[in-house]
Amino acid sequence: MARVRKKKVAVVQCLGGCARQTSAQSTDAAGTAADGKQEKEKNHSQSGMSCQQMSETEAAVTSCEWGCLGGGSCVEVCRLGAIHINDRGAAEVDPEKCAGCGLCAKACPRGLIRITTEEYNIYPACVSEDAGAQTRKNCDAGCIACGICVRNCPMGAISIENNHAVIDEEKCIACGMCAVKCPRGVIRDYNGIFTVREAKV
Amino acid sequence: MKETYTFTVNGVERTTDQDKPLLRYLRDDLHLHSVKDGCSEGACGTCTIIVDGRAVKSCVLTTKRAVGKNIITTEGLSDEEKEAFVYAFGSKGSVQCGFCIPGMVMAGKALIDRVPDPTEEEIKVALKGNICRCTGYKKIIEGIQLTAAILRGDAQIETNLEKGDVYGVGQHAFRLDVREKVLGYGEYPDDVEMDGMVYASAVRSKYPRARILDIHTEKAEALPGVLAVLTADDVPNNKVGHLQQDWDVMIAKGSITRCVGDAICLVVAETREILEKAKKLVKIDYEELKPVTSIAEAMAEDAPKVHSKGNLCQSRHVTRGDAKKALAESKYVVTQTYRTPFTEHAFLEPESAVAFPYKDGVKVLSSDQGVYDTRKEISIMLGWDPERVVVENKLVGGGFGGKEDVSTQHIAALAALKVNRPVKVTFSRQESINFHPKRHAMEGTFTLGCDENGVFTGLDCEIYFDTGAYASLCGPVLERACTHSVGPYCYQNTDIRGFGYYTNNPPAGAFRGFGVCQSEFALESNINLLAEKVGISPWEIRYRNAIEPGKVLPNGQIADCSTALKETLLAVKDAYESNPGRAGIACAMKNAGVGVGLPDKGRAKLIVHDGKIELYSAASDIGQGCATVFVQMVAETTGLGKEMIINKGANSEVAPDSGTTSGSRQTLITGEAVRMASADLNEDLKEAGGDLSKLEGKEYFAEFFDPTDKLGADVPNPKSHVAYGFATHVVILDDDGRVKEVYAAHDSGKVVNPISIQGQIEGGVLMGLGYALTEDFPLKEGVPQAKYGTLGLMRSTQIPDIHAIYVEKEELLPFAYGAKGIGEIATIPTAPAAQGAYYAMDHVLRTKLPMEDTYYSKKQKAVK
Repeated sequence: MARVRKKKVAVVQCLGGCARQTSAQSTDAAGTAADGKQEKEKNHSQSGMSCQQMSETEAAVTSCEWGCLGGGSCVEVCRLGAIHINDRGAAEVDPEKCAGCGLCAKACPRGLIRITTEEYNIYPACVSEDAGAQTRKNCDAGCIACGICVRNCPMGAISIENNHAVIDEEKCIACGMCAVKCPRGVIRDYNGIFTVREAKV
Repeated sequence: MKETYTFTVNGVERTTDQDKPLLRYLRDDLHLHSVKDGCSEGACGTCTIIVDGRAVKSCVLTTKRAVGKNIITTEGLSDEEKEAFVYAFGSKGSVQCGFCIPGMVMAGKALIDRVPDPTEEEIKVALKGNICRCTGYKKIIEGIQLTAAILRGDAQIETNLEKGDVYGVGQHAFRLDVREKVLGYGEYPDDVEMDGMVYASAVRSKYPRARILDIHTEKAEALPGVLAVLTADDVPNNKVGHLQQDWDVMIAKGSITRCVGDAICLVVAETREILEKAKKLVKIDYEELKPVTSIAEAMAEDAPKVHSKGNLCQSRHVTRGDAKKALAESKYVVTQTYRTPFTEHAFLEPESAVAFPYKDGVKVLSSDQGVYDTRKEISIMLGWDPERVVVENKLVGGGFGGKEDVSTQHIAALAALKVNRPVKVTFSRQESINFHPKRHAMEGTFTLGCDENGVFTGLDCEIYFDTGAYASLCGPVLERACTHSVGPYCYQNTDIRGFGYYTNNPPAGAFRGFGVCQSEFALESNINLLAEKVGISPWEIRYRNAIEPGKVLPNGQIADCSTALKETLLAVKDAYESNPGRAGIACAMKNAGVGVGLPDKGRAKLIVHDGKIELYSAASDIGQGCATVFVQMVAETTGLGKEMIINKGANSEVAPDSGTTSGSRQTLITGEAVRMASADLNEDLKEAGGDLSKLEGKEYFAEFFDPTDKLGADVPNPKSHVAYGFATHVVILDDDGRVKEVYAAHDSGKVVNPISIQGQIEGGVLMGLGYALTEDFPLKEGVPQAKYGTLGLMRSTQIPDIHAIYVEKEELLPFAYGAKGIGEIATIPTAPAAQGAYYAMDHVLRTKLPMEDTYYSKKQKAVK
């Protein structure tokens, strides 16, 4: 019983795609247009701004104040190269490389990265507290609090809190039903079985 | 062109153009029946398969989402893996009803493939999504450990074990049904496929109590592929019922429904898909009425009558001596009121049956607890001679009392006769939860007295049962609750009044423990309070009062020579006493056999055929393992091995009636009939010089009946039951209030199958812990609110360390080699022992189940 093999893993609770598309130029205090991922990466590399700095700028880089900034601070601190900024401009973890050390979670100013254990491979990838209609405007992969997951969860493990789905891991058995039923693909399976991993798209 | 989905199943590339749950594709299109449908909701795990190396529930994944993936089912295991799992699961006793097993195997394989030497913790986590209601998980975990060891090369398969040349009573017997259940080729009714088979399902009431104003079936009937829509008018005699025929097959137009499980019409269609569509096209006009939802409401003078004769379904008055006087003269008296909930059996296999026209009547392939009971109910419904109905059990995926009443069998028979084709009826999980009888909810007030030494003087109690919409087995269950409310002690003054009321809640009936779980919870809790007043320990007060051979039970029956309650108390004494402030203790007794003057007979027939012994006895093996026990009895008597003895199962056409699998009776009652028949055979075998071939074609029939006295018989020492089993459980908590260990000591007489009895005890204990701590069955105006996943069934990660102990005495009953059976009693003392443990810890008396304010009831913090 001495062996501890309960692997921990980080999950990013945002699927990205919320980088400011419109009126970015006029409002971006950093003076750079953040048009999608390339722009944001450029932000990061050119301006050298960390996510922390980005989050402190007067105008948000993302249209959604809860979303991933894409600045890559988590990428920088990860010693295992387990995180990258994906095509949608959001951080994404490779669960096979991740050791669950938690450095990325500490580096994220928006607290979007959560450390969980391997058995909970199903997670809602959005923590937006905006109302559903607003989230729908902000991005195409945000939780709109429709409650379909709540109704389909066999365990009664999901609730809508602050306008997004929250899974109670004490009750969750990671069956994947919510991931399959979610109309917006917000609830993810990091094993890539019930939902496809972005990296593989 | 239609979109197609391609993936690999067991090494073969498959393509479909239908987007549907993978479970349905695997079962219906590929006929891979190891993939069991236990809930189709993602909650139970019976349909677990491996997808790209991960254990996945196939009811959740869809064909569309499976594109490009590599899928393995039990059928696709390598031969080496198959043999390892079969041997390990058989050797460790991992298999009982077997319905969860292929899913467990796949979850186990996925883990072993990743971690060749998994720890117990890792196995528990890997099985977290898979429910087992029989074993308590321990034996499955051990089975997976051994499988892993075999596959690593650290352990070997001993082929002699499955061969079973030495298979007598007390041997490490490899169950008969291990291979078919582990590999998933054994057939439950839902696995049956027949030429021309069609499907039927009932449209059930939307409201617990409503008048059916009209039933519009025209649209459904017009749908292509719909063969018939039947209503009450199509049923020759619209009543069924296990004992009391009070259960409408369908609620007729103009009549009033009694619960949400009530059928209103029965749709028969060519395919499942058409059936589901057609059911939605049936429109029913209701006049919703206020339901009767509690015992108090049912008792009210102006209460609506659930049945025309009134709401009191059953009552019992059990009395002996003078309880009133004895209690008045007692040094200490405690009175407490207790409440226990409805409990759902949650067997893994939802009810299913296939019926087809057969000879001059109908044949039903069933999953039930007594083929002759099912035959009787169907013949009453049809108004036929029972012989025209043939009922054969397929594998039964768990029962626990919940499959004593007909559910699918009679409507399948009705539909088959109507459309003249084989008809399958399989309940959805929610239909099962809403329909079949539960454990009765109880409210009871118990007054127990004792003298200054803690010796019990008398008991007065009043027990109220909510029997829901139908009687089911209310009478005998209530009676057992009353007769066993006294506990396994030896005082002589009792006044016990029991009442069972109809309500519009789901029906209540038999459930492992048969009323005794409720009443002994109350009694044993009161005993702890008395011990406190006397100033002795809960163990001591039980030991002082414990029944022993020759002493008289509170019902007047003289305890027989095999009685070993004190031995069970002694077996757990150290465990109890070494955990002060953390341990609770409770005793129980449970009858073996129906008793109380009823003609409770065991019957068996042996036929020597093709050089082997064929065993015919209609006694349902619902997973507990009686089919194996009977073969062991024959093996013990004749000295022959397992391969020479074939149990032909429960089939009313060829096997004699050996009664219901109920009342912990099969091991003793049918076991003795089997022993008697095999003893006759053995005489001839000896004469033939041990050459079985010389007996070819011979038949040996035996009937066992040991008369008992009816309740209230006017004799000084009435014998209520052939035998009683006894038990003492100790539940130990850790400092957080989690159940850490359970010691369960049982007197079951001679143990026939040591591995099986451990599994029975462990499973019974876990069921008892669920009853005590986590399981509930909330109702809202008579409508069940629970889904399978939210019933509160214990999962593998929640199990404590359960120590199954059996005490065997020298002195045994002269029946069935001294075996008394185990069955129900394993579940009974656990809940009061758990309650006692919490009382020891915080001195709060919890009088309600599931208990409040425990580690398990506290709302767990949600993870953000």
